[in-house]
Amino acid sequence: MTEAQVLEQITSIVQRMLEDKGVKAATIEPNTELLGGAISIDSLDLAMLVRELEDVVGHDPFAEGFIEFRTVGELAKLYAK
Amino acid sequence: MIPTGAFGLDAGDPTPLIAHARDTLSRGDLARAANSLVAAMGGAGISRLMVRSDDPFHILRAIDAASRTGADLFIAHTNLPEAHIDAVVKKFGVQMIVSADDKLTGETPSDAATACIFMMTSGTTGAPKIASHSLNALMSRAKAAMHPGNRGAKWLMTYQPTGFAGVQVQLTAVVGRGVVVAPEERTPAGFLEAAKANGVTQISATPTFWRAFLMVVRPGDLNLRQITLGGEAADQSTLDRIRKAFPDARVTHIYASTEAGVVFSVHDGREGFPAEWLNTETQGVTMRVHDGFLHIRTPNAMGGYVSDTAQPRLDDGWLATADRVEIRGDRAFIVGRDDSTINVAGSKVYPLMVEQFLLKQPGVVEAHVFGVANPISGQLVAADVVIEPGLDPAETRSAILAACRENLAQYQVPRAFKVVDAIAVRESGKKG
Repeated sequence: MTEAQVLEQITSIVQRMLEDKGVKAATIEPNTELLGGAISIDSLDLAMLVRELEDVVGHDPFAEGFIEFRTVGELAKLYAK
Repeated sequence: MIPTGAFGLDAGDPTPLIAHARDTLSRGDLARAANSLVAAMGGAGISRLMVRSDDPFHILRAIDAASRTGADLFIAHTNLPEAHIDAVVKKFGVQMIVSADDKLTGETPSDAATACIFMMTSGTTGAPKIASHSLNALMSRAKAAMHPGNRGAKWLMTYQPTGFAGVQVQLTAVVGRGVVVAPEERTPAGFLEAAKANGVTQISATPTFWRAFLMVVRPGDLNLRQITLGGEAADQSTLDRIRKAFPDARVTHIYASTEAGVVFSVHDGREGFPAEWLNTETQGVTMRVHDGFLHIRTPNAMGGYVSDTAQPRLDDGWLATADRVEIRGDRAFIVGRDDSTINVAGSKVYPLMVEQFLLKQPGVVEAHVFGVANPISGQLVAADVVIEPGLDPAETRSAILAACRENLAQYQVPRAFKVVDAIAVRESGKKG
């Protein structure tokens, strides 16, 4: 998957999470900080996002240990191939 | 003359103790508020009270008043369902509920008060489990953990304030003339804002909290002296990332349980603990590995459960944990639990309780709850449910999720939630 495709996946998973929580949709840009407060997800939602991305994209960038990321774009880069 | 109690606060002491986003309260403010509560309790003949608030001011005010009067105090989570609170109030005859608005219940104590602190686990279905502690034992734990670096420290309240670890942090601040910093919003960004605004010096939190916090904190934001990890096993990569982000802080990871208190503290920055600590007494606590499980012998064991027992005490005085230990070279590692509990960011979730909750929701005919691993929170709660034929899956799903959010603690809410056609049953008859 390209970075743009992963970004699309992240956006759709996050929007579904927000919908499940009953909060309004958010604008998600590559430079949006995942836990910076702009989108209403908590660290457990983020954990689920990472888990779902592994299923959708087909590989786990954290298999060898944790890698730093802060923004949506940084996360997308980790999964893109 | 009102006795000073275990806290020994002075009504004229201006030293800050609790920092909210809006105001900062001093030790004297707390002493005076507790004086009023003691007077109100005396007037109404109260020997059994409950505090139900996430504000350290109300929690500490209630603990101080209970300690001065010899009353029993129940510390209840704010997210416990009303029905459970009512049941506890009736069963034990809790006479007063302390919060932003103190209220009398009209009940009478079921038996004589024994000056105990009762802490409650978050039950989802069935009654919450209630553990009894003596305030003296809790205070001596806080005093034992005190070292010069902790005096006058500013603690970020990362744990649920009504839980065992949260209460312990508040008592530590009282004992060490420190400050408890209570964030307005319990999100990584909210925690960071409160920590920066108040110059927090110590943060004690779960590894999961740290992994999320490291995503928002920037170099130079905080000048931390002490970092503590507890509630889950600390892994090497999280320890390394913390060390890199806060090179000047002392980093400690601890193993503690409600039943046994703090069992060991490791300061060398390596995951696990030195294997030589096994079978020898260190600070009064002895550990052994029995059939692969960690056993603990400690003089600080809690009083016991009022309801049922969780951690069996063996005949020879050892506490048997469900934590598996593996020894590699000179190091021992906690490698996981051998029961069905799901450890979500340091909080235990009992799958059966969540299943029972789901099964009570309209339209649900079968539910299977299990843990899924991930690199951020260790595990997460996942649920598969089967719904009645003819119902709209999307609508039913939203309704069930809304009920979960309303009635379960956030760590108990299934984050992976699927409506499925059937749930496989193994030959043993067990789901999954």
